[in-house]
Amino acid sequence: MALRRVLFIVFALFLVSAGLPVRAETPDAALAKLIEEARAAAAVPGACEQPGLDRLVRIFCDDKIRVGVREYYPLFGTREGQVRLGYDVDVAREIAKHLGVEPAFTRVNAASRIPLLADDKIDLTIATMGHNTQRDGQVRFIRPHYYRSETIIVGPKGLNIREWPDIASRTICVSIGNGSNAQIVSHNARLMLFDEAGVLPDRLRDETCVLAAQDDSFFDYYFTDPAFAKAYDRKFGFAQLPWGMAVALTGSDRLARALDLMSQIFHRDGIFIEVAKHNRIGLGFLELQRAVWNRPDCNTDAGSSNPACVLPALSAVLEPTPFAGQVTAFETWLQTHTGISVQFPMFKTMPAWQLFTAGIANSLVLVVGALGATLLFAMVLGALQSAHSLLLRWPARALTIVLQSSPVVLTLVISAAVALALFPYSSAVAIGAAIVALGLMNGANAGQAIGEAMHTLRTERGGPPVPTVELFGRAVSRSATQIVSFLVNAAKGTPIASFIGAPELLSALTDITSFASGRASTYSLLLVFYVCVVMVVVWLCDKLRIWLERRQMVTA
Amino acid sequence: MSKISPDFVPQLLAGMVVNFEIAAIALLIGLAVGGVLTLAKLAGGVRGAVATPLIGLMRAAPTFVVMFFLLNIIPSDATLFGVHVAPSGIMTVALSLVPYAAAYVADNGGEALRQLRDGSPLGALLFLPNVTRAFFVLVMSSSAGAAIGVPEGIAVILREAELMPTLGDKMVLFAIGILCFGVTLQAGFALMRLLQRHLGRLALRTREG
Repeated sequence: MALRRVLFIVFALFLVSAGLPVRAETPDAALAKLIEEARAAAAVPGACEQPGLDRLVRIFCDDKIRVGVREYYPLFGTREGQVRLGYDVDVAREIAKHLGVEPAFTRVNAASRIPLLADDKIDLTIATMGHNTQRDGQVRFIRPHYYRSETIIVGPKGLNIREWPDIASRTICVSIGNGSNAQIVSHNARLMLFDEAGVLPDRLRDETCVLAAQDDSFFDYYFTDPAFAKAYDRKFGFAQLPWGMAVALTGSDRLARALDLMSQIFHRDGIFIEVAKHNRIGLGFLELQRAVWNRPDCNTDAGSSNPACVLPALSAVLEPTPFAGQVTAFETWLQTHTGISVQFPMFKTMPAWQLFTAGIANSLVLVVGALGATLLFAMVLGALQSAHSLLLRWPARALTIVLQSSPVVLTLVISAAVALALFPYSSAVAIGAAIVALGLMNGANAGQAIGEAMHTLRTERGGPPVPTVELFGRAVSRSATQIVSFLVNAAKGTPIASFIGAPELLSALTDITSFASGRASTYSLLLVFYVCVVMVVVWLCDKLRIWLERRQMVTA
Repeated sequence: MSKISPDFVPQLLAGMVVNFEIAAIALLIGLAVGGVLTLAKLAGGVRGAVATPLIGLMRAAPTFVVMFFLLNIIPSDATLFGVHVAPSGIMTVALSLVPYAAAYVADNGGEALRQLRDGSPLGALLFLPNVTRAFFVLVMSSSAGAAIGVPEGIAVILREAELMPTLGDKMVLFAIGILCFGVTLQAGFALMRLLQRHLGRLALRTREG
């Protein structure tokens, strides 16, 4: 009976223990085991000469790890003579130290950091590389990520900008191709594009730019300059992008696994933070990650594949249009048959296509609106300037002189500033403000011509009779050439509405080229579009002029 | 009212010098290109057939679009026979104004030559005040440079306005800008009228002599 009881207790204990989860191995133990196995494999005579060796084993064969780092990325990877400095470089040194081998550095840049891995020229790249889904097909990223950058808006300290609504209608200087440009555009900001990010701090200093957007990792360096840090600050950040160390897709399974575990340990133990402090870069992300990797559910050998612990890659693929394939085929055909390389990014992705079609529609609305407003203001100001009463005539003349004295950009900005004081910012408000500004500027001049025509008509009739509708109609007909000329001018001036954020075609294409290639063909297309629009307006205005002149002859 | 930076007015005046510089470059190139187009148009034949639509195209090209076209079509490291030819911001704005200036010169130059042939030197001399008028139009149009970071007058005003917290403060700045540009423009037009009168008297004296 006692024996049966003992057996029952043993069986029950077995069942209970079987039901409990198996205690996970620590990343330290898993890494030690992996390194030990790789060292043992490398120590087997002749093993190092075998083809198809995993890179971790070969690292121990060669007693060195070949790391690709940048040489011109301040605070992350720089070189002064033979001395390499920066966060990425020091992370590589920590990895080599952990493996017990020497680091051998190779210079890489944004273009070469992936091909050099694929060509087996380097074992590992630590080169400020953002982890996006597109790159997942090219290299194996190490998880957890070793750093994270975000795009930050930087501007003068006195400027109160804290969130997205504060940047609507403002101009932000950016570098072409920056992945976060599309996001800035979606918040109704205007972009001023520069080829290189390196010029942005200078453009802030010489006050060409009031605000600039770029990676925080880029601005970190400039904030180490006391003068820069005193004058400017970070307004807010967005578009977080995890940075990953990466190895080749093939032949690196054990190396990748070892680096995954090492990255976990470096986060957990604050090694990344120490290296970051040494290099004076931002610590926010690393401190958050340290907390994550100290959590029991993450601090295991399986932590790096646990979605609750690691960050996802940034999705960088833009939805293609249904006809993207045909557009690409046409580009290829054109290049093959004519040697001309053109790209039409506005037809290839949905965000670009939507911006493009909306841009065309808004441009046409602007042109029609500007023509209508010019005619309306011309009639109103013309009538006021022809009025008998000084109280009507002089204010109209004063307004005309002010409008003539104000450069077009300034008038637009004033119109936008007044509109924004009355209404919250929207595309419709920007377009409306532009229509009013263009109408006022050109209408004032056309109105002046009508007023002068009225004056001549009254002089011809031998005195200043009370203005009549019939006389006003004749004055309009007499000033037909001037009216037409200012109508054409209004149509020609519509692209300048992009300056106040009106989303017309120029604005849309500038936004498209900020995140896509093909600037030359895009702006050529823009020029053709506007020249055609203006020519159509000239043709229509000529018809109007002829009609007005005939009318004058009939009434004469 | 927020305090306007003490550097504002000197910077505005320096910026306006840039506006004048841009206008001068555009007008000089415009005179050269427009002069050639005028002669080609008056010559008739194939040259005239080419020049006429070209002038039409130049007349129709919006300055602001041409500026962005030039800015994006010419690589920043462009070289010709080993010489760096990428235009600066100022030059880009000036070149964007050339189609307008050239078309204007071609239209008015053609008219002046016609007047001269018809025996009216006074009519032909009207070309000079017309060119002066075009120069001041170009000065005002050069404010488009603010959109590409050229440090001209309007860019200076807008930069200062960004730091102003209220619409009222901004309006004061804008008014200063309008005053500065307005005085310049009206002075220019007064100069043009003086020139016109002087030329008129000169032509009259020549005819009487």
